[in-house]
Amino acid sequence: MSDLLTAAPPRAEAAPSPPSAHPRRRWRTTLVGWSFILPNFLGFAVLTLAPVITAFALSFMDWDAFSTPEWTGLKNFQRLLRDESTKVALKNTVYYALGHVPLTMLAALGLALLLNRRIGGVGFFRAAAFFPYITSMVAVAIVWNMLFHPEFGPVNQLLHVIGVTDAPGWTTTTAWAMPAVIVTSVWRDMGYYMVLYLAGLQAIPQEYYEAAKVDGANAWQRFRAVTLPGLRPVTFLVLILLTVQSFKVFDLIVVMTDGGPGRATLVLSQQIYRIGIVEGEFGYASAISLVLFLLVLILTVAQFWFNNRRERR
Amino acid sequence: MIRRRMLAAVGVVLAAALPLAACGSGGDETSAESGPVTLTVSVWNLKDTPEFQALFDAFQKANPDITIKPVDILAADYPTKVTTMLAAGDSTDVITMKNVTDYARYASRGQLKDITSLATTGDGAKLAGLDAFKQEGGKYYALPYRQDFWVLYYNKKLFDAAKQPYPGNLTWDQYADLAKKLTSGSGQSKVYGTYQHTWRSVVQAISAAQTGGDQLGGDYSFFADQYKTALALQDAGATLDFGTAVTQKTGYASMFETGKTAMLPMGTWFIAKILADKKAGSTDVDWGIAPMPQRTGSDKVTTFGSPTAFAVNKNAKHAAAAQKFIEFATGAQGAAAITAVGVVPALRTDEMRTAYFGLTGMPTDDGSKKAFAPDIVNLEMPVSDKTSKIDTILNEEHQLIMTKQKALDAAIAEMGSRVKNEVN
Repeated sequence: MSDLLTAAPPRAEAAPSPPSAHPRRRWRTTLVGWSFILPNFLGFAVLTLAPVITAFALSFMDWDAFSTPEWTGLKNFQRLLRDESTKVALKNTVYYALGHVPLTMLAALGLALLLNRRIGGVGFFRAAAFFPYITSMVAVAIVWNMLFHPEFGPVNQLLHVIGVTDAPGWTTTTAWAMPAVIVTSVWRDMGYYMVLYLAGLQAIPQEYYEAAKVDGANAWQRFRAVTLPGLRPVTFLVLILLTVQSFKVFDLIVVMTDGGPGRATLVLSQQIYRIGIVEGEFGYASAISLVLFLLVLILTVAQFWFNNRRERR
Repeated sequence: MIRRRMLAAVGVVLAAALPLAACGSGGDETSAESGPVTLTVSVWNLKDTPEFQALFDAFQKANPDITIKPVDILAADYPTKVTTMLAAGDSTDVITMKNVTDYARYASRGQLKDITSLATTGDGAKLAGLDAFKQEGGKYYALPYRQDFWVLYYNKKLFDAAKQPYPGNLTWDQYADLAKKLTSGSGQSKVYGTYQHTWRSVVQAISAAQTGGDQLGGDYSFFADQYKTALALQDAGATLDFGTAVTQKTGYASMFETGKTAMLPMGTWFIAKILADKKAGSTDVDWGIAPMPQRTGSDKVTTFGSPTAFAVNKNAKHAAAAQKFIEFATGAQGAAAITAVGVVPALRTDEMRTAYFGLTGMPTDDGSKKAFAPDIVNLEMPVSDKTSKIDTILNEEHQLIMTKQKALDAAIAEMGSRVKNEVN
């Protein structure tokens, strides 16, 4: 999977076609090729591409989903600059991403390192770590809500036992609601990324470790000099997936806090949903989603650029 | 992703609308029809909303030549679906108006038939909650058949145990005192004096109704007294605190039906649920109702509520039969039919009240009967195209006040400035 993202796709014109080949046969080959991707492309075009392009156009219009859309130019974007709630949502989304991305990477890598050995029952522990990921998001959110209960929740009771006297109010306070959401999401996602890391770890040739040992490298040095560089393609993939996922976070927040208390955990996708679906302002909602799209695009392109530069070194 | 989801939603809605529109091109009977008619009526969760079937059965019995075909829609999707249906020119005859805000939108778009004549003659003019449906020029496009309003439920056993007399006309101060006296136990076995649900209406709508304050106005100082009462109850531990109720997603029904709270301010729709649960044997709560507590010095019982209505689709295939149905449903026979399943009809007569309190599981004391006839029922939230946005803001600030993340005065000032700056 990592190869798909890091390796350049084969270019169409690079495929050598002997000049002697019959143009008709070449045409037929192309058609056969297209026919293979057509079913998937049709679905993508109708259900994804067309709506995305429409959303792009809609962000310059005023539309309530029923009347005729009205061209309003940059009005939606001007409104965006003045919209306090959307700014709060943007800030919260960045906060969430800054917490969720590094913590999930660390947790996933840690788990992968722990479970990448030949110990008894490793299969069980791997499955256990993956389990949260296949659990329904609604169930996860509701159960963690209870775990985080300020008085009766096990989290605070545990904190109490280890001597914390003023444990946080978690989802009932504006300051701690977002950390609570981040902890929950890290717990849920780490198993999935652990699997990616495990695959990456197993792709590192054992000879490198043996050679490092022969050179007298200790465990930490082997980790720094062999494991981390070896994992770089996977780390890059995980980083991209996590970043995109973080900016799209929706279901967890809706079930766990619904953006509250107040606007403490209101995120962009939720704000888009509220404005578009609930209030019926599809033009303005599209403008916000366009901004979200550009934000994710810029971040992803920046990550690619950074990765390529390091690869060339 | 969300962008995709949103547009996919629009796509699905449009796709769903197409076949509906196709169905609509079937017949073009005129209003003077004869012979058997199949009348279509849009409803939500038919199975769990017994009032609809009760109305349909009664109507079909009285009008054997008309068969009713319900168009069943998921409750959560109901407003979106109906909006789409109407925009696509669907010909479902009778459209049920789940809330007043959506009604105002449909009426102003000219998607409903003018039924002013039904609203101004006979029983129509006496309907509770009718005013909410009055549009420009004194016209009516829908008629309420049920109207719920808020009362104070109480658990008789818990009152007896605390040796307190059953509540009658309380002031908010008396209510708060009583709640403290009725609170007992601790931990998992704690019984609360009252349970104030997490909805903002519990504080905001009642204070607007009783002070005459305007929830769309931008000056929210009239909320202050009610918030002080609510916060004091919470501080005293006489109600489940807001944070816990939100994180545990506490249900008001289970709080009351399992005897975890002695009092509960709630809408009359809860009566039908208690009756059904008692019948099913899932609760044996011994209950009664009192009027909502009032502000000191008020001599009338003022509460708030919201009506549910029927309207005739502008594109209805059988407009005459649809009007006939509405006249029936909002009239005495319709009221009797829904009363039988524990639903509060908009037509309130003494016969209906007697029948209502004669249902199995209903309290029989005079106090409860009196509580069922409040003097004034104000609309829960005024209707405007800004209602939804203001609702969001008021709800966010409500959470901050109740979880004590913001001081009361600051939050009330913030409500005002946010409504002025963000709603336009």
